[in-house]
This record gives sequence, structure tokens and C-alpha cells, in this order.
Amino acid sequence: MRTAAAIAALSALLAVFPFLATAPWVMTIALFTLMYAALASAWNLVGGYAGYPSLGHAAFFGLGAYTEALWFNHHGIGAGLTPFAVLPLVGLAVAAAGLPVAWIAMRTRADVFAIVTITLLFVAQTLAYNLRGITHGAQGVAMPVPDFAPATFERPFYYAMLALLVLALLLSHAVLRSRLGLALLAIRADEDKARGVGVPVGTAKLGAFALSVGITGMAGGVWAYYLSFIYPQFAVDPLVTVAMVLMVFLGGRGTLWGPVLGAFIVAPAQQYLAYQYGASQLYLLGYAALLVLVMLVLPRGVLPTLGDRYRSRQRRARTLRADVGTGVSADTGGDIAADVAGEQP
Amino acid sequence: MSAPLLEVRGLARRFGGVAALDDCSLTVRRSTVTGLIGPNGSGKTTLFNVVTGYLRADAGQILLEGRRVARPDPARLYRRGLCRTFQQPRVFADLSVLENLLIASGRRRAALAGPRVRADDRDRAEALLAEFSLAGLADDPAEELSYGQRKLLEFAALLMSSPSLVLLDEPTAGVNPTMVRTMERHIRARHAAGTAFLVVEHDMNLVMRLCDPVVVMAGGRVIAQGPPGDVQADPLVLDAYLGG
Amino acid sequence: MHETIQAVILGLLTGGVYALMASGQTLIFGVLKVVNLAQGALVILAAYLSSSLFDAFGIDPFLTVLLVAPAMFLLGTAVQWCLLRPLHRSDAPQLSLLVTFAVALGIEGVLTLVYKSDYRSIQPGYVNRSWTVAGYQVGEVRLAACLLSLATLGALALLLGRTRFGRAVRATVQNPTAARLLGVESGRVAALGFGLGAATAAAAGAVYGMVYSFNPGSHYDLISRLLSIVVLGGLGSLGGTVIAALAMGVVSALVGALVSPVWSDFSFFVVLLAVLLVRPGGLFGARLRGAL
Repeated sequence: MRTAAAIAALSALLAVFPFLATAPWVMTIALFTLMYAALASAWNLVGGYAGYPSLGHAAFFGLGAYTEALWFNHHGIGAGLTPFAVLPLVGLAVAAAGLPVAWIAMRTRADVFAIVTITLLFVAQTLAYNLRGITHGAQGVAMPVPDFAPATFERPFYYAMLALLVLALLLSHAVLRSRLGLALLAIRADEDKARGVGVPVGTAKLGAFALSVGITGMAGGVWAYYLSFIYPQFAVDPLVTVAMVLMVFLGGRGTLWGPVLGAFIVAPAQQYLAYQYGASQLYLLGYAALLVLVMLVLPRGVLPTLGDRYRSRQRRARTLRADVGTGVSADTGGDIAADVAGEQP
Repeated sequence: MSAPLLEVRGLARRFGGVAALDDCSLTVRRSTVTGLIGPNGSGKTTLFNVVTGYLRADAGQILLEGRRVARPDPARLYRRGLCRTFQQPRVFADLSVLENLLIASGRRRAALAGPRVRADDRDRAEALLAEFSLAGLADDPAEELSYGQRKLLEFAALLMSSPSLVLLDEPTAGVNPTMVRTMERHIRARHAAGTAFLVVEHDMNLVMRLCDPVVVMAGGRVIAQGPPGDVQADPLVLDAYLGG
Repeated sequence: MHETIQAVILGLLTGGVYALMASGQTLIFGVLKVVNLAQGALVILAAYLSSSLFDAFGIDPFLTVLLVAPAMFLLGTAVQWCLLRPLHRSDAPQLSLLVTFAVALGIEGVLTLVYKSDYRSIQPGYVNRSWTVAGYQVGEVRLAACLLSLATLGALALLLGRTRFGRAVRATVQNPTAARLLGVESGRVAALGFGLGAATAAAAGAVYGMVYSFNPGSHYDLISRLLSIVVLGGLGSLGGTVIAALAMGVVSALVGALVSPVWSDFSFFVVLLAVLLVRPGGLFGARLRGAL
């Protein structure tokens, strides 16, 4: 019940946020934060639940961005809100493009998957630069600038990103509640054993991958429309991959809310620093340092670690009450009481 | 006369220069508990790995209920009623004991989109947990189980698919005597209910009590088979053990 | 025909250099069972160090290896000892992979701060000289690079084959648990193995810097090629890696000469996917699936 209330409060806050904070730079930070929360949740489906760390998600982000932009240039769907309407198709296209690669890359183990995906990232970037007939290479692709009122220009993009985050969370939740979720956890724990008890591991992994890159591609689409001009080095940016990995590991991989938490911590900080100081080469160092730190100090992430603390404290409190209540083993009860007391600062 | 449950013909598998399986042929008939014994390195576990699709054979055929298995795949074989345990019990440590059973219910691809827990699966899983005296642990993570309990859990989970043939790889190795008897009781109960077993086991007393027929492997091939008494008296078998 | 043979020569020479870079990678994988995503960044770092030594003191790029290699060895050892060793055991494989990725980014970040992101290359006087043999061009630097690679590979093979440390490494590669029981200090072997893998990057870096222009982001390109080679070679087999490197060098040079230089970049990825499609275990056999 408390969780439900917290979710309702968070949703309400995010829904009215554009009316509370109207400064464009705040809105920009907010919409990028939502984008990263959606991206991290998407990455979590493959990297967290299934335990296959993709280092190439930025390629699918870029693919989504280019698909959206090129669609406009070639078919002129018109400005305004219609570009948002085609996003589901962009997502499907990106998922369809990702499946063959994933089918090959996921036949062996997570190591090889990581290798293929990082290679894919590089290949995608090279393609974006070199398929000049389609992407205009380093010159980039322009999209029509939407005619939204300047004062609230960010608002539609904010809500689009929010919708993507909600979609990513609903899908993650549905996966967790389905047999697919159970299959993915089994695959992460011991894939060979999973095959031995009849789990269709290939289908499960590909399903998770398709959902994951589909959402990633849609986020790329919204991003492209927001910037209205995309260059290869930003559309297919290794930093996007790193950000997803970092946020998921920081918040807690394999959990529903961990990636969101991670994104809400990292993305605003990064965007704020970029806005204030603009030193982009510093993010790389910052991300790298933070990632190593999380792996060494908090390998399971914030949420699971806090969850464990909370549960073990509750368990101890319960034992304490039971012991004191029945008068059995006053000694142990005393010890635990001292323990619990010792933990309170 | 119906076809035997499992038949392998002329299986071969080499690792580098070593022939782990060499023209290995054997048959497991319906409703038997077939024992598979042999000195260490005689190819028993390799045979399990090949038959259950974890390793490709270099040559030979595998027939399940008379039908040739062209490309053995563990998941597909599981859904066809053939399953195995591992020497070191393998359970999904992060999943709960109950979930370890649910995931093994052998449902097809389409079920992935279905609910995590189906009511009928849950009923079956709970019945099995009761049968194996694990009901009290249903919601605990499997990593908290003892070694012997993991062996029981691994076995119990396989039964979710109502298998026709279970390959047990040393079901009682490393567990205490009470657990050995428990395991034996469960195998007998399931055998009585119609499940066939192929059991690799080093505890000869158990093999002689439980299995009929007994198949003896050495050097990657079958060197003797028959009722336990005959096999025990076979001089070839003694040679294999002493020579190995 | 002439063009084809010229491309094959070029490819073999380039492949020799790749062999050196990838052998470090293979060594690290063998000892630690970790795919080192920082290998490309280590090569680029070494290239920058060589370049700086050449620019500042005029030291011949080939000689800079003698200075850079020990530094890279220490760096590699430190990475293993401080960042990989303390990782939580149960998750170690996945975490190590990502830690090496973070190390790659860290190196890229530092290089960007120090050197900015402009392309550069190491240009000693002889860099563009070449011999003509039976009408075919053989670049001096490329040939020397290939010879240096072969020499380093030979030294590596001797080290692994003939020394106590080498035996400990091979034992660890084949069976870590047994090696530990026999008194091999696996932690130290792992650290030294990582150090050695990084030291090969020093030799590779000097050579790379003369043959190609590079910037801090070049490691993505490089690591993609290296990883393709390592997978093709069957992860963990040194001989397989060398053959795979030569093969990849030839394929990409042929595609570059006969189709277009842009597509030569893709030949790596295409070959990688093709190999995984046909033989998920790599061409030269080492088993990729977890041992049962």
C-alpha cells in the first residue's frame, strides 16, 4: 500500500512538474533525466534481468534517432505532434533490426554478447559517418523545427519522455509478472541448467532484447526531434551506453525501480554540470570513476543493498520481540537489543 | 513389442586425443531403473551430456521411443520427457524453492507471455514439495538449502514435467546416510508410478538393491550388461575396475 | 592481380601487428577468464606515450617501447590488483567485464584532457619509406612493426613455455582450482598476466602510432577489431589468435583494396558474425560454453 502511494505521488509530481518549474534549462534537465530513466529501464531488461550486458545500446538509440529523422525528410509527415505518433513504428523497426544481430550474439555466453555489442556500436558509428547518401555523414540530418510556443517548447518532449518511461516501467513490470521474467532470472543464474529444465532460452533472451532496444530506439526518436539536428558522434555515442550501464548498476540491476533511481541521481548531476561548465570530456572520467566505484563498493546497487538492510533489521527486531515476549534466551535477546541500539546513531 | 524408451547406437565423442565415448551403444527399457556403473573416466557423464544434448556426438544415433533425435537440444528433450540431474546439484540460487519447480514445468514458448505462476503449475509444485518434504522451505531462496536438499530440489523440479526417463548423475554422492535412504525412497516411489531411470552411481550396495539391469562402461564403451547379480559375477567387470 | 597480391602483403604485415595486440588480450583472457575491453585503450595510451617521448626527446619510436612497456606492465598489474581482484566473487565475470570497460573510458577521458581529441600520428623520418620487392611495395615501418610483433610473440611464447612463471600461467589457464591446490598463487599470476598483456600493448602502441593516425576515441575501433580476432581465434588460444589476426589482416586489406576502405572496417564485424553463426566456439575450437 505504501509503495502504491509512493508511486502515485511520484507520478503526480512528474505529471505536474512542467507547470511548477518553467525555466527552459530546468525542463531540459528534467526531460533528459526522464529519457535516461527510460533508457536505463530498457537496458535493465537485458543487462539486469537476463544478465547479458549490452554495450551497444547506443547503436539502437542512434538507429531510432536516424529512423525518425529520415522518415521526416523523406516523407514529410509534418511538424507538430505527429512525429510522436510514429514512435511506436520506430520502436518496432529498431527491434526488428536488432533481432538478427542478437540472435547470433546471444547463442553463446554473455562475454561474446558484450564483444559483439561493443563492436556493433563502432560499426553503427562508422555507418552513420559513411553512408553519406542516407545520413549525410558528418554534416548531420536536420528535422523540421516544431512550431511549439517558445515558453513551453520543452513540454511536449517532456511528456513524450515521461510516456516512454511509463511504458518502459509497465513493460518491465509485465515481464517480471510473466513467465518470461522467471525464465530470464533462471537464465541469469545458470543458463545451461535452464535449458536442461526446458526453458526456451533463445526465445526468452530475444524477447527481452527486442523490448529493450525497441524502447531505446523510441527514446532516440524523441531525442532527435527535440534537438532537430543530429550528428553521428552524438546519435551513436558510447557515453549513452555507459550512462545506461552506470545508472542500472548504481540503482540496482534486476530491480524495477533501481534503474530509475540511478538515472534520477546521475542524469541531473551530469546535465547540471554540463549546463554550468560544459566540460564534456570530464563526464567520461566521472562516469568511469563512478562506475568502478559502484562495482567495488556497491556491486548490487543502492536499492537491493538498502532492501537487505531493511529486511535484516526487521528480522532482528522480530526475533527480539519474540525472544523478549516468551522470555526465552534473555541473553541473546539482550545481545540483539544492544546490536540494534548500536546501529542507531 | 514397442520400441525401447531410449536407445543409443555407436556414440563416439573425442576430446583432443582422448576418446571419452567410443562406439557406445545401450538401451533403456520402459519402467526400469537401469544402473550405469564403471570406473572414473569411463565416459558415463559424457554419455549423459551427449544424450541430453549438452555435447555434440562425433558419430552415432540417439533414439527416443524409437524416433531418431536429429539435433539433441536439452530444452526440447526436456519437453519430450527426457531429463537429467547434474553431479553437483544445480538449482537456481536466486529463485525461491517454489520458483525452481515452476520454471521447470516444461511449458512451450508461448507460455513465456503468460503469467509467472499458473494455478495448475502451483498445485503440482506444492504437491511435489510436500512429497519431498520441502514444503516448509517453498518461499526461501534456493541458495539457503543444504547440499542434500539441493539434490532433492533438483530431482523434484524435474518431475514437474512428468518425465518418462530421468537420468540421475550420482544422486547420493556426498550426502549423509539418511539422505541416501530418502533419495532411494523417492526413486522407488517414482519408479512405481511408471517413470524410468538411468542412474550413474558409485554406491554399489545401492546399485545392487535398486537397479535392474545394470550396464557397465569402461573406456567409453559398454562392456557388460544384465541383472545385477550376473554383472557382479562377470570377470570382465572386475578387470575393468582393477585395471582402471 | 597485382593489386590483390599487394593487398595480401599489406594484410599480412598489418595482421602481424594485430597479432601482437590480440595476443595480450588472449593472455589476459586465458589467465583471468576476463574479456579485457581496455586492451584497445591501453594500445592507444601506449601510442600517445611513444608519441610524446618521440616529440619531446626525439627517441626513436621503436626504442620508446623499452620505456613504455615497463610502465604499461605496472599499470596493468595495478588495474588487476586494485580494481579486478577485490570484486565480489559471485558476480565477478560480469563485473570484471564492465570494470575493464570503465578503465577504457577512464584512459580515454585522461587522454582527452591531456592531448585533446585531435588526430595525431608518430612521424619519424623513415615512416613513409618503402622497399620495392619484385614490383610490390613493402613499407619499412610496417615490416619492422611486423618483425617487432613476431619478436615479442616469440619472447612471449618462450616466457610461457620455458619459465616457472610461464608454467604457473599455463596451469592457471587450464585449471585454476588445481593450480591453486598445487601452490600457484593465482592472485599473483593473474596480476602478472594482466601486466604482461598490458606490456604487449606498449609494443603494439608504438607501431600503431606510426602506421595509423589516432585520437583518444580510436580505442573503440581498435577494440572492435581485437575482439573480433580473439573470438575468431577461439578465446584463449595463442596460436589461434595469431592465425586469426593474420587472416583478418588479409581479409580487411583485400576488402579495402578491392571494394572500398570504408567496408574494410566492416569486414571485421561481418567475419565475426559469420564465425559466430557457423561455429559459436570460434574457428580454433576452444570451448565457449561453460564447462559442464
